[in-house]
Amino acid sequence: MTSAAIVFVVDDDPSVRSSLKFLLSTVGLHVESFESADTFLHKKAPDVPSCLVLDVRLPGLSGLDFQRELAARKISIPIVFLTGHGDIPMSVRAMKAGAVEFLTKPFRDQDLLDAVRIALERDRLRREEEKEVMILQRRFDSLTSREREVISLVVSGMLNKQIADQLGTAESTVKVQRSRALEKMHAESLVDLVRMIEKLKGSLGPVR
Amino acid sequence: MVAQPRESTEEIRHLQRCVSDLISVLALPAIWSGGEPSRIVDTLLDALLRMLQLDLVYVRLKETPGRARIETVRFAPSQEYKAQAHEIGQLVESWLGAVPQEWPPLMRNRLGDRDISIVPLGLGLQGEIGVIVTGSERADFPQQTERLILSVAANQASIGLQEAWLRSEQQRVANDLDGRVAQRTTELAGAIEELRKEIAERKHAEEERRSSEEKHRVIVEAANDVVVSMDEKGAILFANSAIRRIFGYDPAEIAGKSMTMLMPDAMQKLHANGFQRYLSTGKRHVNWQGVEVIAQRKGGQEFPVEVSFGELTSDGHKVFTGFIRDISERKQAEDQLRESERNLQMAQAELARVSRLTTMGELAASIAHEVNQPLTAVINNASACLRLLANRNLENEVLRGALEEIIADGTRASAVLARIRSFIKKEPAEKNSLDINEVIQEVLALAGRELSENQVLVEQQLSTDLPFALADRVQLQQVLLNLIMNGVEALTAVADRPRLLRVQSRMDESGDILVAVSDSGTGFELGLDRVFTPFVTTKAKGMGMGLSISRSLVEGHGGRLWAAHNSPNGAVFSFTLPATVEKFS
Repeated sequence: MTSAAIVFVVDDDPSVRSSLKFLLSTVGLHVESFESADTFLHKKAPDVPSCLVLDVRLPGLSGLDFQRELAARKISIPIVFLTGHGDIPMSVRAMKAGAVEFLTKPFRDQDLLDAVRIALERDRLRREEEKEVMILQRRFDSLTSREREVISLVVSGMLNKQIADQLGTAESTVKVQRSRALEKMHAESLVDLVRMIEKLKGSLGPVR
Repeated sequence: MVAQPRESTEEIRHLQRCVSDLISVLALPAIWSGGEPSRIVDTLLDALLRMLQLDLVYVRLKETPGRARIETVRFAPSQEYKAQAHEIGQLVESWLGAVPQEWPPLMRNRLGDRDISIVPLGLGLQGEIGVIVTGSERADFPQQTERLILSVAANQASIGLQEAWLRSEQQRVANDLDGRVAQRTTELAGAIEELRKEIAERKHAEEERRSSEEKHRVIVEAANDVVVSMDEKGAILFANSAIRRIFGYDPAEIAGKSMTMLMPDAMQKLHANGFQRYLSTGKRHVNWQGVEVIAQRKGGQEFPVEVSFGELTSDGHKVFTGFIRDISERKQAEDQLRESERNLQMAQAELARVSRLTTMGELAASIAHEVNQPLTAVINNASACLRLLANRNLENEVLRGALEEIIADGTRASAVLARIRSFIKKEPAEKNSLDINEVIQEVLALAGRELSENQVLVEQQLSTDLPFALADRVQLQQVLLNLIMNGVEALTAVADRPRLLRVQSRMDESGDILVAVSDSGTGFELGLDRVFTPFVTTKAKGMGMGLSISRSLVEGHGGRLWAAHNSPNGAVFSFTLPATVEKFS
């Protein structure tokens, strides 16, 4: 487990908060606890893998409302829900909205630790992905408009000659622009470029 | 001859006088014409007295049926003797005798102190009319001419009198006839008037009858209800047009057919029997006004009607007229009303149940949260300690802190429970003397729809000689409803045997009231010992509180609630309630 990871615990009960911190610390996790959703929202999230252990029944904003609020703020932190009593419809809603786990108090310590581990791993992957997309985007943004035109036609499967015909330019010119774009994108091959463009499309919408 | 002229002259003069008298006498009828007999007699007497220079003349007209006797007498003015007519009549009779035919032509008698010559003459051929008696003191009375004049006068008088009588008779007859004609005319006029009145009355009555019949006909035809009449044989005599709309028959089509064609088979026999019984005994075995029965339309469709009928005897035959009202819509509305009332009751009962469960649910959730928080902390702390212990990394200070927290949280959990217990106060039950069977009926009615929708057969074995139970009606209803609904739910899974729910009430060995609800359902999935454990349930939506609450309610009444296996399938839930010794107010 990454030592830099942080587990945020939000529970209105101080005993629960401190016992959770104690339990999570036994596996070397760094824990920050909050007594309400609002206090958590005021805290600037550090750029490390993190997850949220959240009681469903919270004073003020409820756990599920809080989950919705985070989604609306485009804060995609994985959530492990805790609840005082099992409510199937509530757990279904939470899981559908992306919760990692929905645990009924009191729970087995291993269940919580497993859920937290999964949540942190999911966040780590997400962060890596985001970082990669960000880099790709930066590279993509460095392309000239003609280079973007050319590579978008390249990834659609057209040959240099065909691209030249469509753009009304020489095949040799296309060839140059294409190799320059690949270089700027740090793409090792055409396949690599296609993967990169797909990733950009998937996470950030239209490339243009 | 010369010596004779004086004599002759005298003679001639006498004769002339005689002829003159005769002419006078012959002229009398002309005077009498149209006159009354009394006037005839008067003029006759006057004429004879004057012509013949009589001292006395007397006339008597015999009385006959329809005419009175007339007696009249005249004396010469010189005559000293005077008497009344009837005195003269008696004198004459004493002289002559009663029989006119035997009378002498002339006789001499004393009248007063003088002698007098009397000549009686009969009037009429046989003297049937009467008599005329003339008298004179003259010795030569009557001379030959006087006798002639007398006889002629008597004849003329007879003729005149007879004519007068005839005329008066004719007059009388005519008058009589006129009178009778007039009377008859009056009578006829009266009769005619009577007839006219009668005719007018009859005409009026006829008009009234026609107008009334017309009115009735219009009313009957326009009636919304079927009006149908039948004879003693049960054959339809008449039906109004409403029968087309309501029964689908044409009025002409069913005339003469049996009334039973308007009834379903099941009703026909009942009707025939009842009708026969009425005809023979005169006893009505159903109410004739507004009885509700089932009728049948032409297509065989049955529908409820309300029938009123009456009886009329016409020409010695009984005619029965029925008014049939289609009450399908009314019935439907009533059913719907009943249904909605029942639904309302069900909804209310369900609401009560749900709100109770909701309260229980919320309470349970609250308990879970309040107790789970410290328990979670306890378990987390203990788990953490175990992990550190396993890693041989548990420092004493850490362990002490954890244990202190565990104790604090354990204490806190216990305090939460204590707080909750003091919070749930028991509502005092409102106990009254109740008929337990009545409560059972109420609850079965409440559960009626659930029972019928799930095709559950309910068998009631209710003892009728139970004492009253001292209980809270609502709590008792809750217990019974809970047991019955549990039974229904246990039966819904049953498909291979009848879904039977039996509700029993009876007295148990110790004199308590015992109520048992048994079902042929799935029985106890969790085992007999766990059915009353709170929050233990086999139901998807159950709280697992129903039976434990029911048990505490029954125990609050001083009774017991227990479960047993039913043979061969299902469960029996029984509870007892102490009986009241006396009726409680």
